[in-house]
Amino acid sequence: MAGQRAQWKGFIKFGEVSAGVALYTAASTSDRITFNTINKATGNRVNRVFIDSETEELVDKEMQTKGFEVENGQYIVIDPDEVAATIPESNKTLEIEAFIPCSDVDDVYFDKPYYLTPDRTGSDAFAALRDGMRKSKVAAIARTVLFRRMRTVLIRPHGKGLIATTLNYDYEVRSSKKAFEEMPKIKIEGEMLDLAKHIISTKKGDFDPATFDDRYEAALEELVKAKIEGKSVPKRKKIEVSKPNDLLAALRESAGMMMASDDKPKRTAANANAGNGRQRAARGAASKSAASKAAPHRKSA
Amino acid sequence: MALRPYWKGYLKLSLVTCPVNMTPATSESEKVRFHTLNKETGNRVVSQYIDSVTGKPVKDENEAKGYARGENDYVILSEDDLDNVALDTVKTIDIEKFAAADSIEWVYLEKPHYLMPDDAVGNEAFAVIRDAMKADKVVGISKLVIGRREKAVVLEPRDDGIVLWSLRFGDEVRPEESYFEDIEDEADSDLIPLVQKLIKQKTKRWSPDMVSDPIQESLLKLISEKKKALKPKKSTKSKKADEVEPKSNVVNIMDALRKSVSAELKNRKAG
Repeated sequence: MAGQRAQWKGFIKFGEVSAGVALYTAASTSDRITFNTINKATGNRVNRVFIDSETEELVDKEMQTKGFEVENGQYIVIDPDEVAATIPESNKTLEIEAFIPCSDVDDVYFDKPYYLTPDRTGSDAFAALRDGMRKSKVAAIARTVLFRRMRTVLIRPHGKGLIATTLNYDYEVRSSKKAFEEMPKIKIEGEMLDLAKHIISTKKGDFDPATFDDRYEAALEELVKAKIEGKSVPKRKKIEVSKPNDLLAALRESAGMMMASDDKPKRTAANANAGNGRQRAARGAASKSAASKAAPHRKSA
Repeated sequence: MALRPYWKGYLKLSLVTCPVNMTPATSESEKVRFHTLNKETGNRVVSQYIDSVTGKPVKDENEAKGYARGENDYVILSEDDLDNVALDTVKTIDIEKFAAADSIEWVYLEKPHYLMPDDAVGNEAFAVIRDAMKADKVVGISKLVIGRREKAVVLEPRDDGIVLWSLRFGDEVRPEESYFEDIEDEADSDLIPLVQKLIKQKTKRWSPDMVSDPIQESLLKLISEKKKALKPKKSTKSKKADEVEPKSNVVNIMDALRKSVSAELKNRKAG
């Protein structure tokens, strides 16, 4: 496998069938800008030390231990061995406990994706599982000890392989139902919905996340430069919130603007300052060609 | 329970703009967490910043973020400065594009957040955007500054709100070809029906029970047993003891705990 190292090697088991497999990290986190912590009073960098919260004396690494707070200020000492004892022995097997319909998958539980691949001996069983799952439109739920925790993974076919995504634990996820339960129940119909759907239809396209660029670093450099030179940073556009009474007018105006520039949806979404460019382009097009208006995209979906 | 929003800003579609707030869908607050203690005193260990040149502790209000422009040369940036970065995407989610609901590859999904109106003035505008995406079976594509990076985000209508996913960058997702190229294209066609039969037998509805954490359960049990072992000590030795003689108190607790742990470990092995 082109030199990549497997994160985990073991077996996948469904029914009485078992196949040798490996997990490879599918996504890593790239670096973001980090700052140094500075003492404002002196302009010097700072170092971090660990001190006793009561005596304020330095505490060496070997004098540090883990504890759990039971009541205010009272701690139970937990030995690393005791924590280790809670981890079940790994049987190195991703045992499929259930298949769930793809439509049932709640993606807010997704944690990290791994490519799941067969070893030489497991390839027939692997391919059969992959194709069977694809045909039945299901994902599989399996559990095993991964990285010292008992993890549930969601497995699904992806191209010629499988992707196993670790899932967050139940207590780590707030359901969308709960999160949104206090929201006002509003249903939009009629002209407003039609106008919004029209706006959407003019902005429809494909999106490839791989082509997206982060502009933050460049913007930050500009900010730093301005600060050094004592110039003020260009202000962002002021944001005007649509008033409920003006909402329909705003939608009509947006839709009108869109229709006028409808000849081709702009492909600049991932580019810098798309907003400005698009508005200018839209105005220009509006004066020229109301005639090139594309057929209404309204679907009766 | 309403959580304190972690971001506030605006959601924008063309000329329609409404105030919104966002909270992460996931949180580690329920996870069993340990603190670092000083073995000698039993007190919490806390971190402190020390000036690298003067060696003196740094007051909280003097801690600042420094952008390195040279060796030992930093430009100090305040939160206000950072807030002023000249990107509209710091405060505004402007939906630039819509894509078919299932067109975003799952490997790109990084972190889910819940997006909702932040003020009654925006309720209807928010609902228009949400319901139109629902009706058209599309997701919105935009970008937003999250954690000092400008990320592509996907907006997906769900229930009465919108789930906002931050996406991974292209260079964060490893190309799958090198992993999958050697795998068989097609399975033995005799095997597939058998697998499908098995799938049918083992198909269940999704339930959050499938993502329980048995290790956390064991840890909680361990803690509660230790807590029980603590209680009698507390009643015989009053609070004073731990104020005056923190050392001896810790030692006593340690003894009590050792006993309960060895019992616990025996049980575990026996079980």
